Amino acid sequence: MNCNHDHENKNYSRRDFLTRTSLGLGALSLGGLISPVDAYGNSNFLNLLESEKKRLPHFIPKAKRVIYLFQSGAPSQLDLFDYKPKLNEMFGQEVPSSIIGEQRLTGMSSGQNTFPIAGSLFNFKQHGNSGAWMSDLMPYTSKIVDELCFIKSMYTEAINHDPAMTMIQTGSELPGRPSIGSWLSYGLGTDNKNLPEFVVLITKGKSGQPIYSRLWGNGFLPSKHQGVQFRSGKDPVLYLDNPPGVTSTIRQEQLSSLKKLQKINHADIGDPEILTKISNYEMAYRMQTSVPEVMKISDEPDYIFDLYGEDSKNPGTFAANCILARKLAEKDVKFIQLYHRGWDQHSNLPRDIKKQAKETDQASAALIKDLKQRGLLEDTLVIWGGEFGRTNYSQGMLEMDNYGRDHHPRCFTIFMAGAGVKKGITLGATDDFGYNITERPVHIHDFQATLMHLLGVDHEKLTFKFQGRRYRLTDVHGNVVQEILS
Amino acid sequence: MVLEIFEFLGSLHPLIVHLPIGFIILTLLVSILIKTKNNSVKRIITIGWFFSFISGGIAALFGWFLHDNNYYLESQINIHKWSGIAFVILTFLIWILRALNFNLNKSFNRISNFAILILILITGHYGGEMTHGKGYLMKGLPFIKQNKIPTVFLSLKENSPDSIYVFEDLIYPVFEEKCIACHNKNQEYGGLNMSKYENIIKGGNSGLGIQKGNPYKSLIYKRVSMSQNESNFMPPAGTPLSFDQVAVLKWWIDNGAKLKTPLTKLRNDENILSLVEENYNLDLREKSYIETLNLAPIDENKLEVFKEEKYHWRFLNSEKSLLDVKFTGKKITRNDIELLTKIKDHVIWLNLSNCQLKDDLLSFLSQFPNLTKLRIQNNKLTDKCIIYTKDIKNLRELNVYGTQVTDASFNIFSKMKNLEKIFLWNSKVTPLGIEKFKTQNPAVEIISGF
Repeated sequence: MNCNHDHENKNYSRRDFLTRTSLGLGALSLGGLISPVDAYGNSNFLNLLESEKKRLPHFIPKAKRVIYLFQSGAPSQLDLFDYKPKLNEMFGQEVPSSIIGEQRLTGMSSGQNTFPIAGSLFNFKQHGNSGAWMSDLMPYTSKIVDELCFIKSMYTEAINHDPAMTMIQTGSELPGRPSIGSWLSYGLGTDNKNLPEFVVLITKGKSGQPIYSRLWGNGFLPSKHQGVQFRSGKDPVLYLDNPPGVTSTIRQEQLSSLKKLQKINHADIGDPEILTKISNYEMAYRMQTSVPEVMKISDEPDYIFDLYGEDSKNPGTFAANCILARKLAEKDVKFIQLYHRGWDQHSNLPRDIKKQAKETDQASAALIKDLKQRGLLEDTLVIWGGEFGRTNYSQGMLEMDNYGRDHHPRCFTIFMAGAGVKKGITLGATDDFGYNITERPVHIHDFQATLMHLLGVDHEKLTFKFQGRRYRLTDVHGNVVQEILS
Repeated sequence: MVLEIFEFLGSLHPLIVHLPIGFIILTLLVSILIKTKNNSVKRIITIGWFFSFISGGIAALFGWFLHDNNYYLESQINIHKWSGIAFVILTFLIWILRALNFNLNKSFNRISNFAILILILITGHYGGEMTHGKGYLMKGLPFIKQNKIPTVFLSLKENSPDSIYVFEDLIYPVFEEKCIACHNKNQEYGGLNMSKYENIIKGGNSGLGIQKGNPYKSLIYKRVSMSQNESNFMPPAGTPLSFDQVAVLKWWIDNGAKLKTPLTKLRNDENILSLVEENYNLDLREKSYIETLNLAPIDENKLEVFKEEKYHWRFLNSEKSLLDVKFTGKKITRNDIELLTKIKDHVIWLNLSNCQLKDDLLSFLSQFPNLTKLRIQNNKLTDKCIIYTKDIKNLRELNVYGTQVTDASFNIFSKMKNLEKIFLWNSKVTPLGIEKFKTQNPAVEIISGF
């Protein structure tokens, strides 16, 4: 059957046709000269994108890859990093109204009659030569503070988890934009043909705020740039293995025949997603051998398990995922995203945060050490942090040994280590109440711009045209945080 | 009273000048375009020349009044003034000749038309430069590159900013533009000659020009930074120094007012640095070795052979000259390595880890002048391989963890001048050896595990 598929050819729309013919042949030829779609409807647009991408990296990169240890639910900066003795002095008193002002609170605590100050129950000490403040919740991380760069003045506009996570991962609170890893995959391409550029690992068995696959989605970018989740257990990537009875050769033959058909189809209707599909099949075929190899951690020596902690022998834990992250980094996967849920402590914070810290502290520190001794920290950027911070007042009843903290987008702390980032420094500061930023605010877009910068990408130049305009990760915002660049 | 009227008339000059321009262009058009020259056409042309002369004369007179107001420097005015006067004289002559019915032949007409056109262009252009600033003409053109970088900075990309000096390249050009007209060796107003560094420091009749380290005692700084209403303010006419020119001058005096202060010293003041960087479109950050490399883009055909081979490579810069290369096969052979030497100048980072690399295969490494990071970890390598790495001139980072390298290599490491980091975890070196090396070479970082 010979269908006329031209109306499906997205590179040449009816509008293009009318624009090009309404002024006669002159316009037709002029249109051909100035438009990415030539008079015969062949799109140079994808080629144009390619030529823009050819200019990448825009400058010499410091980092080749990123490991983002995302702490979902928002860890309390006031109990981990941001030491505020004033809050302990004023324990139980009302937060001065001059501090909160007219600022928006979440619906969860805005109805409270009082906003009692909750000083942290945990002891803070200065560590290392850099004298960074850390609470005793994170003894292992405390030992490596001289490798870390803290930003205590991060802020965001989003006040609830999903928009805030979507914001920090995609640069917009509304879903639908590509994730950071997808942008990098799109812009910089692969360093390992056998593995995806963007891999996601999620701690198994944690509850808390839901995590959606769109957080590592490709948005409007070609779908081969989406993050691929590697699961713990028998099937790291779902539906990757051949069904029983199908050998590798049969599968290969199948795929090459399929590829021929797809190429015919692509020549007919020109949809770039078909090319994506072809490359996805090819990637999946290669991953059938490469993924089991990289996911096997049983042959790691015992001292490595000791370093990452006892959890690390149980697949699916944060610690085991940290070992995997290192292995993926060794294989030059560009963006490795871990998610660890359960930091959302609206109540019973002192009890719950201890558990969370124990699950992540040793392995996070171990990952940085392990990367360092292998020389990988030279070109790997490690990021640890959540989507926003937590309030200085207690949500719900404040007791001497118990409190909760509500969402607080106005300031939070993250830390980074590795490629291109200064070691042993702290950037920014908050006021004595840990509520507002007093020094060097760093917006999510600034953070994203800096991340891109470290990978050699000018965040203002990596764009993708969609729905009539060019999009970028930082939209129209973002300034590189020069102060932390080494 | 009379003076004020003159001043007022002077301010009308920019308005009046457009009259002779209009008249003369109309006259020229009539005399060129109308081919049949009967008497009435000829008379119209003669009247046109007359009007051009009269209006030109008035414009010149008003211009003279404006000049007397001292808004502009003599040097700026000269060409404008004299070409304007020439215009008036020429229009007068031609009008007279025509009015007296001299028989003017065609070629005389052509020459005079052409000459008057040139004069009006010159006068108009230089007049425009005075009111709209130098270079106003091309400013708005989209295809003319906006180049606010003085030529000296254009070569900066190749040179290090160490070879550019604050006084010579930032401050003196400003003096040259704003001060030299009155303060030069022929014309020392106030006894000040600003054509040479020594004389600038010395100053003039009123005292020290520059007091090193103290801008507030430096007359030159004081005069250009005081209120513009003061009678001592400099320059007395024309555009004053801009904010950042004054700021750079102050920084320079603060920092000793030396003849040869390199531009890189600006790094000690974040504000001045960003001001200068922005104004002159410079990048004064400290640059790493590879950033200073200026290699030609690599021939893509040379990389063709790598496409299906066991290497993975990517460019490190948009100019496509620097490469990061990784061996991705399981076992490396001599052939694989020979392939690499074809692009030896361009390999900046090289990763040959975990590929059964043997010591002897590394003998080729000395041919890589720009290699800064070498990763050969997790191979059965011994101290012998370190001897080969010695000849890589610009090596900064060497990763040999998981090899058989021993303390014996420390001797060679200490001879490698550019080496900054060595990764020695899981090798055969001893803590004692590391300790000893560190005391002798404190600048080199050894990473040997935790």
